[in-house]
Amino acid sequence: MTPFAQLRLLLFRSLREGGRNPVLAYALPIIIPLAVLVLVAKTLYRVTDLPGFPTKNYAEWMTPAIIMLTAMTGVGYAATSLVIDIQSGFLDRLRLLDVRPPALLMSRVLFDVVRVIPAGAVLLVVGLLLGTNLNEGILGVVLLFALLVLWAAAYGGLYFVVALTTGNAQAPLALAPLFLPLQFLSTQFVPRSLLPGWVQAVAAWNPFTYMVDAARAMTTGPLTLAPVAKALGVAVAMLIVTQSLSLRAYKRASGGV
Amino acid sequence: MSSSVAIEVHELTRHFPGGVRALDGVTFTVQEGEVFGYLGRNGAGKSTTVRILTTLLRPTSGTAAVLGHDVSTDPGAVRKVFGAALQDAALDELMTGREHLEMASRLAGLGKPRSVERAAELLESFGLNAAADRIAAGYSGGMRRRLDVAMAMVRRPEVLFLDEPTTGLDPQGRRAVWDLVRDLRDSGSTVFLTTQYLAEADELSGRVAVVHDGRIAAIGTSQELKDRMGTTTVRVRVAEADGARVRDAVAPNAVAPFADGWLEITVDGGEASVPAVVARLSAAGAQVERLSIHPPSLEDVFVSLTGSQIEASAGGGDDGKITAVRRGLGVPTGPGR
Repeated sequence: MTPFAQLRLLLFRSLREGGRNPVLAYALPIIIPLAVLVLVAKTLYRVTDLPGFPTKNYAEWMTPAIIMLTAMTGVGYAATSLVIDIQSGFLDRLRLLDVRPPALLMSRVLFDVVRVIPAGAVLLVVGLLLGTNLNEGILGVVLLFALLVLWAAAYGGLYFVVALTTGNAQAPLALAPLFLPLQFLSTQFVPRSLLPGWVQAVAAWNPFTYMVDAARAMTTGPLTLAPVAKALGVAVAMLIVTQSLSLRAYKRASGGV
Repeated sequence: MSSSVAIEVHELTRHFPGGVRALDGVTFTVQEGEVFGYLGRNGAGKSTTVRILTTLLRPTSGTAAVLGHDVSTDPGAVRKVFGAALQDAALDELMTGREHLEMASRLAGLGKPRSVERAAELLESFGLNAAADRIAAGYSGGMRRRLDVAMAMVRRPEVLFLDEPTTGLDPQGRRAVWDLVRDLRDSGSTVFLTTQYLAEADELSGRVAVVHDGRIAAIGTSQELKDRMGTTTVRVRVAEADGARVRDAVAPNAVAPFADGWLEITVDGGEASVPAVVARLSAAGAQVERLSIHPPSLEDVFVSLTGSQIEASAGGGDDGKITAVRRGLGVPTGPGR
């Protein structure tokens, strides 16, 4: 069996397994972003009255950012499952069947990536219902989802690094609240010009800021090269760093590849 | 009987960081069609041996080959000829029995339709049909073990490794695994079976290797080991006043007090010398109230090799053994008869 066919089979296994645990696997990434979007749009909408606020509808401002947030609120499930695969001996069973160990890692990473797509789609629909306009059309939406899966793989890599380094299936849970400060120390809620000076400085180093800025360019517009290129650069760099660390931790945790 | 070599291990060592010598120079050969018992306590080196033979762990030094394929230089070829059920049944709690077997078959290179067939065959032959479409989380220990062994069989392996297949199972689950191993033995498979249960090694395997502290302490059929290292004892119950008489009569065989009124005579020369010893007791006029004979057990062998008992066994279970021996040898057992 080719490595690609092995990967496909293992990814299918993850997806099917997720279907048996749908709340944790598929609903969890949706719940927090959905709550934030609806609550914020219904309570803080007068923020847009501030001088210099770029949109009239606060939901429209929030929707692209919230879609990127789905990549950060549900990750960890796959990293936990991977540690369990190693500890239960399931990985050994696969190795005895001549499966190259990275195929298992890849199947779990891809699962984390795939499951943000329905979450992003739900949030997009809710955003549209709240009056968001897709000024950049289909192209913008396609780019938005491409960036979403890339960001999910980059950010999810952190969870794999922690899970595999500690060998503790529960350890990724400790990372779960990380999205909170990243959210507030970015341009998710208000434009950069309305952030206090020190937050602006921090936000410039927060990768999530670049995801949010690019997501806005891809939905409410205008779609220009600069924010998209910056976001791609940041996400790809983070992907390479986190996933290569996670591959290294995986090789150690799985007893050599 | 085929006499070609299935597993060949020579001077195998494995050291772990921190100076732990899990294996310290192990050499043995397993013939094709043999059920080979690998007996030892936890930490003796059993799983390390299995993990090296199944290519999951590299040896520090030494060589090991399965059906002529070297585990270090040609692990891919080795993986194609064996099946293994490792110490913990490696199941995915959220997958059904059928899904496990279909996935394993497909990963083993069987096409999709063939994998569906193979899974159905294995579910049938391992008695898992009724549970085939339930997820493994609800399986009993015995069912988990059977499914794990079934997964090891998808490729119809020529050599099968079973690492402590009955540890943690209830008596019913253990019996099911024993039946399975007997079936494999009868069908001519080569089975490498590790266990920490003496009875299991005695019952299932042709030859037994006793492994202790990373070395092979002894190797042979369980009868050979008993003959070579076991001791036969005769226990007699006599009036207290007769104790000295017994000692004199059987000397130089050692005599030790056993339990209220019983003396244990260690018979030099094995079971064949028992009648002579008993005759000397009668000749000396010792009033033997009761008598029992204890042929060498694998446990004696184990204790003499490793200096400690392998599993907690209080003296309590002895009655069954004594009765069996009485019947088997027709030895008179004292005034009660």
